[in-house]
Order: sequence, then C-alpha cells, then structure tokens
Amino acid sequence: MSREVIRSAAWGLGTTATLAVLILLGSRNLAHFDAALVAYTFSILFATFGLTYRYAMWLSRPPTAMYWRRGWQAFFRRGWRLRNARFWLSRMSLDVVANRFIFKRDRLRGLTHMLIMWGCILAVAITFPLVFGWLHFRPVAGDLSLYEAVVFGFPAFRFPHDSAAAFFLFHGLVWASFLVIAGVMLAVRRRLRDEGAAAVQRFVEDFLPLFLLFAVSLTGLMLTASYTWMKGYGFTFIAILHAATVIATFLWLPFGKFFHIFQRPAQLGVGFYKDVGRSEEKAHCRRCGHAFTSKMHVLDLISVEKELGYRYELEGEAEHYQWICPPCRRASFAMAQGLAWQVHRGGASPPSDQPIPMPIHVNPGVGEGPLGDEDAENFHP
Amino acid sequence: MTETATPPVPGLDLKMIREFGPFRAYATDARVDTGVEPDRTVKTHCCFCGQQCGVQLKVKDNSVIGIEPWYEFPFNRGMLCPKGVKRYLQQGHPDRLVHAYEKDATNPAGFRALPYADAIARVAEAIERIQTEHGPDAFAVLSGASLTTEKTYLMGKFAHMCLRTANIDYNGRLCMVSAGAGNKKAFGVDRAANPWNDILGAEVILVTGANVAECAPITTNYLWQAREHGAKIIVVDPRITPLARTCDLFMPIKPGRDAALFSGLLHLMIENDWLDHDFIEQHTVGFERVAEEVRKWNPRRTAEVTGIAEKSIRQAAEWWGPAKTSFLMHARGIEHHSHGVQNVLSTINIVLASGRIGRPNCGYATITGQANGQGGREHGQKCDQLPGGRDLANPDHRAHVAGVWGMDPDELPQPGVDAYEIIRKADAGEIKGLLSICFNPVVSLPDNNFVRKALEKLDFFVAIDFFLSETARYADVVLPGSLQEEDEGTVTQVEGRIVRINKAVDPPGEARQDWRVIQDIAKALGREKGLTFASPGEMFEELRAASKGGVCDYSGVTYERIEENFGVFWPCPDETPPGAPELGPQGTPRLFEPGSWNPVAKGAGPFYFPDGKARFNPTPYEGPAEDVDSDYPIILTTGRVVSQFLSGNQTRRIGPLVDHYPEPKCEMHPRLAARLGIADADWVTVESRRGTCTVRASVVKTIRPDTVFLPYHWGGRKSANQLTIAAQDPISKIPEYKVCAVRVTKAEAPPDYAAVLEPQQ
Amino acid sequence: MPLAEKLHFFVDLSRCIGCQSCIQACTECDTHKGQSMIQLDFVDRANSTQTAPVVCMHCESPTCAEVCPADAIKRTEDGIVQTARKPRCISCNNCVLACPFGVPKMNTEMNLMMKCDMCYDRTSVGLKPMCASVCPSQALAFTTLDEMARLRPNAKPVNTFKFGAQTIHTRVKVMVPADAPKETVDVTAAMYERTIGHDILDDVFGEGPVFGEEEA
Repeated sequence: MSREVIRSAAWGLGTTATLAVLILLGSRNLAHFDAALVAYTFSILFATFGLTYRYAMWLSRPPTAMYWRRGWQAFFRRGWRLRNARFWLSRMSLDVVANRFIFKRDRLRGLTHMLIMWGCILAVAITFPLVFGWLHFRPVAGDLSLYEAVVFGFPAFRFPHDSAAAFFLFHGLVWASFLVIAGVMLAVRRRLRDEGAAAVQRFVEDFLPLFLLFAVSLTGLMLTASYTWMKGYGFTFIAILHAATVIATFLWLPFGKFFHIFQRPAQLGVGFYKDVGRSEEKAHCRRCGHAFTSKMHVLDLISVEKELGYRYELEGEAEHYQWICPPCRRASFAMAQGLAWQVHRGGASPPSDQPIPMPIHVNPGVGEGPLGDEDAENFHP
Repeated sequence: MTETATPPVPGLDLKMIREFGPFRAYATDARVDTGVEPDRTVKTHCCFCGQQCGVQLKVKDNSVIGIEPWYEFPFNRGMLCPKGVKRYLQQGHPDRLVHAYEKDATNPAGFRALPYADAIARVAEAIERIQTEHGPDAFAVLSGASLTTEKTYLMGKFAHMCLRTANIDYNGRLCMVSAGAGNKKAFGVDRAANPWNDILGAEVILVTGANVAECAPITTNYLWQAREHGAKIIVVDPRITPLARTCDLFMPIKPGRDAALFSGLLHLMIENDWLDHDFIEQHTVGFERVAEEVRKWNPRRTAEVTGIAEKSIRQAAEWWGPAKTSFLMHARGIEHHSHGVQNVLSTINIVLASGRIGRPNCGYATITGQANGQGGREHGQKCDQLPGGRDLANPDHRAHVAGVWGMDPDELPQPGVDAYEIIRKADAGEIKGLLSICFNPVVSLPDNNFVRKALEKLDFFVAIDFFLSETARYADVVLPGSLQEEDEGTVTQVEGRIVRINKAVDPPGEARQDWRVIQDIAKALGREKGLTFASPGEMFEELRAASKGGVCDYSGVTYERIEENFGVFWPCPDETPPGAPELGPQGTPRLFEPGSWNPVAKGAGPFYFPDGKARFNPTPYEGPAEDVDSDYPIILTTGRVVSQFLSGNQTRRIGPLVDHYPEPKCEMHPRLAARLGIADADWVTVESRRGTCTVRASVVKTIRPDTVFLPYHWGGRKSANQLTIAAQDPISKIPEYKVCAVRVTKAEAPPDYAAVLEPQQ
Repeated sequence: MPLAEKLHFFVDLSRCIGCQSCIQACTECDTHKGQSMIQLDFVDRANSTQTAPVVCMHCESPTCAEVCPADAIKRTEDGIVQTARKPRCISCNNCVLACPFGVPKMNTEMNLMMKCDMCYDRTSVGLKPMCASVCPSQALAFTTLDEMARLRPNAKPVNTFKFGAQTIHTRVKVMVPADAPKETVDVTAAMYERTIGHDILDDVFGEGPVFGEEEA
C-alpha cells in the first residue's frame, strides 16, 4: 500500500471516528437515538469514511495538492485576510449559494441545479440531526399544545403543535422532495432532448444519480402519503424501500457524480490563487515576449509537471515549454508542420533576426474567438 | 445610442439606418436550443457565390434554424465557406422587409409602409405614365445574377415583351461580361470549358486574378488536391493571397498589366517551341497574327511592364510551356479592367497555343462570381440578349424567341445599353423610370457618388428587395421580394452545371416570390400576356423551349434529371442532333472534346464557330485608363474578403460574418506606410479624383509596395467604389474596378461616421 | 456509441487559408452551440497570411487531464479527450496553460474550460466533425487511413510530437511529406521560426523607384 493510501485511510478512519463520537455526545449516549434509524447512521458513517478517503487521495494528486496549498496560502496571505474574507462571502453567496455560474451556462440548467441542490440541503439539514440523535422533539410537560425541540441534548425552542410553523417543520422532507423531484424532472428532460448532452452522457455517471434522487424523494413522499391518507397502508414495506434508496445514495456519494459536492468548493481557492497571481509579477512568453499569466502559475505548473513525470524542459534560454504562451505554442506547431513541407511547397521561412511577433486570433468576436475576458488574456489580443 | 445623443452627420441617413439596418443577427431561440429537432431538412445550394455548394437547410416551423453538410453533392461534398455556414441567419432577420414601402419625407425614417396591392398599383401607374410621356425606353430595368435562371428569364421577358423597353441590363455587367465576351470571341461559347474534376489531374495550374481562397474557397481543395499528386501551382496577383502564400510560383503583377504578362509567356512558348502545332493547325485560326503581336514581348520588356521579376516569368513559361496537362483559371482580377476582354483573350491564347483544352485534365475556366453568374448571363436579361444565349440583334434569333413568346418579332425592342450607361442616361434625363431587383449599384458601381446623384434624378424608382439595401433607400417604392430559401428554381454554377434550388420556407408578411411581384406589376399594367406562370417549373418548361437550338441549350434538362444526376451541364438538347454523339445523363460536362457536336459548327469541329475552330485574338497591351502620376501616385485595387459577399446587403446583416472582418481596411506594404508615416491601425484617407474614403490601415507585407487594396463590400462613407473609376471595357462594358490612381494620407482624426455607425452600417 | 476505430482526424496546417469556416461551423455543434472551440491564429499577419488551425489533438496521455486538479477532463475508451466535465471544472486555467498544443479555451463566466471534443455528438454516430466537413482547404480532414493514402499519396500521417524532452502521442494525425526522414514532428525545434510564405519583394521587378518613390 502506498503512503497516500495509508494516509488517506487514516484520515477516513479519523473523521468517521470523530463523527461517531459526536453522535454519542449529541444523542446523550444514544439516549435520544432512534434505533429505527440505525441503518441510516451506519451508512452515513461508511459514506464519511469513503468521502474522506477519496478526498484525501484526491488532495494527494500533485496538481490538487499544489492548489490546496496555494489556495490556503492565498487565503491567509498577510494584509489580504480581511479582503479575502469579504471576497469569500461574496463568492460563496454568488457561486455556491446562488449558482451564478450555472445560470450563465443556461438559465434552465441553473434552475434545475438550484432545485436539486436546495432540496438536498434541506433534506440533509433535517434528517442528519434526527438520524444522529442530535435533534428530537418532545411534548412540553404541562402544556400539551406545545412541542419542544431538543438539539444536542439541550432544549432549544418551543412551538404549538397545531401551528403553521409546526406543519412546515414536520413536513420539511415533503417540501425537499418536491424541490428535488422538480429538479430531477428538468434534468432528465434536458438529458433526453438535448443533442449535445446525449452525445457525452453515461448512464452510471449521469442518469444513476438522478434515479437515486428521484427514488429517495418518491419513496419518502409515499411514506407521508401512507400515514396521512392511507392509514399506514404498506408503511413498513415503503419504509424499507425508502431506507434502501437512501442508503444506496449515501454509499454512492464518494464514487460518482455526487463527489463534485465536495470538490466544487475548491473553486473558491482557485479564485484567491488567481487574485494573488494578478497582483504579482507576470510571466512573459519566451517566444513573443508578451505577458500571459502569473509567473507563480507558470512556476507551479512546471513543478507539477515534473512531479507528474513530464519532461517539457527546453534547451537554451526558454528553459521550459511552460514559458511559452498558448498562441505561440499553436504557432510553433504550425511552423514545425509547415517547415516539413518547405521543399515541397512554395514560400520560404524568412530569417528570424527580428523579434518574433505575437500570434493573433483571427476572430475577436466573443464565442468565435475568446470565450471571455480571461480567455482573451490567454489569447493576449 | 439614443437619438438625442447622436449629432446628425451630414450625408448619413442615420434615422433610416436605425429603422431598416443593417443590423447584425445572431443565432437565438430554436437556433441555439440543442434540444430542437428540425421538422425537415431541405437539400439546396448556397445563396452566395457561383460555386453553388450543396447544403441542407434545417427547417423548423417555417424558419431555417441551421445547416447540415450535404456530403453526397459531388462538387463540394459537404465543404462550405463561412458564408455558407452562416447564411441561415439571413432568414427571419429583424431587418427583413415584410411590407411594401413608399418614400415619405415626413417620416423620420424616410419611408412609410403601404399595402402591397396599393404599392403595385403605384408602380404600374408610374410605368404607364413614364412610358406614355417619354416612350417605352424611358423606363429601364436593372436585374441581377443572384436570381434563379427562371427569374432571369422572366426579367428578360418582362422587359422585352411586357415593358417593350430596350433598356434592361444586369449586375453581371460588373462581373462576368469580360470573360463572357472573351470566351465568345475565342471559343464562340461562354461557359467554363471543364468541370472542376479536371483540375485534379492537371500538371500545372495557373491561377490569375483570382483570390480563390477568399472568393471561391471550395476551389482551394481542388487545387491542393492536384498538388498532392504533384501539380505545380502558379498564382498571379498583386497581393499574396492565402492561396499564393505557399503556391509554387508567385507572380506579383502590377494591377492592369495582365495582357502584357500573357503575351510575354506566349513569346517564350514560341521561342522555345512549347507549342502544340497539330492542335493549332487543325483547330484554330489566327495564330500567326498573335505570334507577330507577341514578338516584342521579350522577358525583359514583360518584366518592366508587369513589375514581375524576369526569373519568375521564365519559370512560369518553363512550367506552363511543356506541360502535358494544365488548367488555367481566372476571375475578376484580370476582367475588371478597361481592357478586360483583352486580358481574358491573352490567357486563352496561351491555352490554345498549348493545345491543352477539351481533354481530361486539360482545362480553362473563369470563376463565376454570383450564384447564377453563369445562368444569369444566358437567358435574356443582358441588354443585347435573348434566351438560350441568343442575340437580340439577330433576326433568326428574334424570330425563334418571338415564336415561343407568341409575339411579332418586330415588336421586340432592339439591343439597349449596359448597366452603367443606364445610370448615365438617368443622369442625362433620358431614362425617367427604373425598376431594380437583385442589384445594389449605390455600393457596387464605380464612382458611386455619381450613381447616387443619377438615382435622385429619376422620376420614379422602384426597388424589389428583401432588405432595404443602400440602393433601395433611394427608391420611391420598395416591394418586398424573396430570399433564395423562399423560392425554388435552378441556377447554373461555375462549371456550367445546372442545379436545383429548393424552397425551404415561405416569404414572411406581405413579401412574396420575386416572380410573383413582377407578374403582379405586369397584371396591374394590363400587359400580363406571357407573364402568367403559376410556378418556376412552368417558367423552366418555357425556357427549355426558348433555349432549344441555341448555344445555351437547356431543352433536355428537367428538374428530375438535375436531381437524379446532381446537376446537368449544358448544352443538353432534348434530342441528339444527326451526327452528334449521344450525351450522358449529366449533359456536357466538358466542352470542346474531339468529335463533339454543337449547333454552330454542326459537326465541323469542337468549337462554336461555323468552321469548328477556335480563334486566336491579338491582344495589344494598353495600360489602365487612369495610371498613377505625381498627384495620385499610388495604385488602388479593390476586391473581396471571405466573410462578405458583394455589396454586403445580406452578409453585413449576419453577425458572425461581421465579427470576422467588421470594417474595410486599407492594406499597404510597410515600405509605403513608412514613406507616408502610417502605422498599422491608423486612420488613413484614400483619395482619388472622384472621392475620398477614410478607413483604418492594415500594414502588411503581402501586397505590392506600389499598390493599396480596399475591399468593396461596405456602403456610404466606407464604400471603396467612391474612389474607383467608371472607365469601361469597350467591348464588355465592364468597369475598371481593379486599377485607379489614388493618394493616401494619414487622417488627422477618426472619420465622423466612426462615432455613430456600427461596423456593418 | 464509440467513435469508429478506422476513422481518423487529419490536420495539414499548411493547407489552411484562414477562411474561418471551421470557426463558424464549430459554433453550430450541439455540444457547445454558439461557441467555437477552434483555435485559429494569424501567425504573423504583418509578414504573411499564414494561419494556424488547431483543434484538440486528443493526446494518449493528455497533459491537460493530468494537470487538472479537479479530475474534470476524461479520455474515453475510443481515445477522445472530452471537454471538462461541467460539475467538476473549477476554471483554474491549468489545462489552458499546460496543453502543449495550446488548445483549451476558458469560459470564466461559466467557470468552465471548454475544448474541442472532435464533435462527439457527430463522430459517435458516424458523421464527420463540423470543422472537417466544411473545411474548404481540407486542412482539417476526417476519413480513413486508406482514403487519405489514396488522396494524398505523397504525404504520410504522423502522430508523434516532441516538445523539448517530452514526446506526445495523439489520436489526431498531422500530414507530413511521405519522404520526411522522421516519424516525429519536433514542435519546439521550429519555435523560433516566424512564418512561411513568399516574400513579395523577392518576385517584383526592380527596386526602389518602381514603387513610386521617385515622387516622394
């Protein structure tokens, strides 16, 4: 077993153990633990191990490790911390909470993701504390019209059990199901009609997660329907079915598409890294001389590429191919292929004693040429 | 930009532009929705250049939502240029005219909409009035070669039979006429001699005055494909075009000196005896006179006149002379001259001297410009022409066509004047009324400030168009016509191949197919006899009969035969004449084959003269009409860019094509730029004796240092044709777009239009 | 459906005429409609009309995927390096800067790297990619090896590239002369060349006064 595997497994065990301890603490030594939910608890514990293990393995990959380190360094950079905290808040709310970048891809896709994401967050916020025994409700002694919520063993708040608030609270999972089902419907619709999606989608990667979410939501709703309107008809069977779908979803968390939930926040780190890059010295292309990204980024990539076993070192002044900007890479490629034909086709290569010019994208139109400002910088128009 | 923020700019119809465009369209809605399935795909052809690439239009709810390559069509096998890919954005365009309009001085936009029927009535009333007061010839017609062959046939019939005016001409006058006249003088017939497949096996390919990569992009693959099998490619051009960049021999000719170059090449062919004596003897006449003429064109003198290095001239002759197979192609570069016909004939002379024509892989062709540049010059919308390539002045030809049309031959008018002469007559007050369709002379004719003034003098001007073109802005009535995808018919492409245009969608609003508009006018005039066709198919049937027995014989062509064979090449008579070989299902792909039959030679030989022999024509060199001098020391040459088409009425409305090359730039060599103190992207003023134009400079080494280049696709202040000269070839009447004298200065400030106009406007 | 093994993408950059058909056609592709993935540059417009059309070469061990911190770039079994998986890409720009051919594009608004996926929506159902369908110079071509050998008998396809000490193999092939000594295109060896093409001054007759300079 490699060092990464051992280390990742240790991390996995550590977080799983921590969670177990928290469950014991929060449920007051299992006093408030609902034994009926024990299967859920164990599947979450397993998922915790899997997720931590995979996350740690992921972080051990050279590029990820580099970004992880650099991201935190950038975040905690002296003199920048207040600013970073502010930016963290705004990016967190725009990108993570409001899914701005997904809406930019397509408004309907943004809505789809929003529905599924908030449905899942709501469901997790309700069920996890219940499953762990961190939250339970009890009638208030002396006033039977009131309920009291107990959080981590401490009484938190009281509310009338026939109030609208109570109705909303106790049916929280129903609302979550509605959100998720609506989102899944939209997602499936897109996957069935969109030619572009049809070309690249895979069942396990793209459809299975949607089916799991749908199954969890539907069986959950069936439970509600069973005890609300059908006098508990088939309740046990539906409960087992629901448990099975939920547990399958948890077990699938570390492996499939759902892992992006844990990877995605890295985007925030990237943002801080880019902020630092913009404020620091630029890299200048060693072919055309034009600035194209931060020197830090080039140096980091050189070290990542070395770790990965790439040998892009160059002889002479350029030292490493990473010092060549993307347009000059494309131009060099064209020159290499063109030179191969030189005796066969007309035209010559003029002596290159003058500085080499910067290649220019033929079309400056957004979409046809660069896809946005950052891309334009990569193209250096 | 709000109107209050926009100061008026003298001479710019800003309010009209804000109302009618050109604005840029981009793909939206169903065109970007990747979940939309088209209802159907329609196999048709591109609406732009003369190559007529096959393409499939994706149609959803009466809208063209995209294109799909048509891999089976043999000419282009799916290939398309950027214009062809994005042409679908012209359909459903916000600028599309969906009503008739009439001039209204009280309206800020200059026009007000009126019901279609009222507009037709106004047009008929004006025609009637002008012709009654000033005679039939006082009403003229300008037509175009982007129309289907059926429509061009109808336009000729409308002018000659309904209006009885001598004055009809078409925009091929700015395009194909030098090649046409040259071909008729040398071969007796005006068509590319070979299908493009003959390029593939040629040993030497000479491309002169043709920016193939930008103006006929699909032909590039034929040339490169030939080179893969060892062909040498020679390019003659004042600019290093994308094709010229890696061609085997590049000859940077000084604009307007083409006849000298080809005389020089023939001189070397004779000197080295690189001649096909048998062919010259058996199949041509007039060689001796030409040999005498080129005697003085030794390489030294040729180099001095053409500005091409002597070594290159010798190299070209060494490759061209002894080759076993070859293909020579040219386009407007040698034709747009006051001696364009001479230039064309000088190229034909070296083809005939080599004897390499009428055989596989031995060819000669002019590259047609417009969609129907070939078909549009065959069936009677030229000022001296009747259908089937017949002559309006020839009594037999008049009798034949009058017979088909059911009229007395004497009632047919005599030949009229060319397009530019129509404008001059309008200026002189001889022509009082004008109908124009498929023609944008305010952008496309030379010295267009004069054209504008002439149009303003007309009593009545009616334009049929799908967008309000720069020319239609001067109209009294604008009738909404049809886009190519809104009608069906046939066109004849660069190879002489007749192809089918299929209708994809209906015209919007009150717009209707052009032929319906024309017939509606005829009906309102009470002269609808012969103009009551119910479909393009009916017109084609009559065209077959009218062309029968002519040089451009379509009588054996049917829509079914075209579709079954991916096109039919004319001549294609419906019955094999006695003594003629049987034609294949595709008609006559290659002209002048040994043993071939044609209606002029009647078996005497392969060429279209009574003796069946081709003609050598002496081509004495004359310089351009306006040469450089100390006041105007720089040569201006004009041309096209790949993303735009002709006057830009369509392509300047297609957003992605505008992005590609937004505004005209003046190309100049760094040596010239340094002398003038101009840097790349500076604003420069180009000035000729006729006008000025301020645009940005593009300082590039890919042009002769004595020449500047402007693309001509823009209107108004950006129009290159404000500068060009209206000098015309004496035979073909083509204007000299490719050479005039200018001076260039660095502009002190950006032009006044820069702040208020979008790039395409 | 995977891409048929016998079908290949061939690039001959020196055939390119810069017409931008590929760009326009690329924006019609269903997997990234409205946005072109083609990289087409003027190599040195002041000196020449040379353009460099670059599509994804689909490397066997793609540097872009290896330097991706988010595991967002996947290579399918049929050798196609797919564009970034949308849920994962964190728009770090690593792939853009590391790709030896300079292919990926960055859509910062969408927080998404985008690149050519050889029109997977078309090629996976047996159609040609849009760019290679329309390309008027066939600088970009998509066909079988046999057909290519028939069409271009004096050329051979090569899919090995050198960048300094690094060798890269690709699914896409470039055309070099059949008699080229090596089966490798050394990209960095040509790095300091500017352009290829005729120089107009080589071919004009005479010097100096010819260009109207006597009036100056």
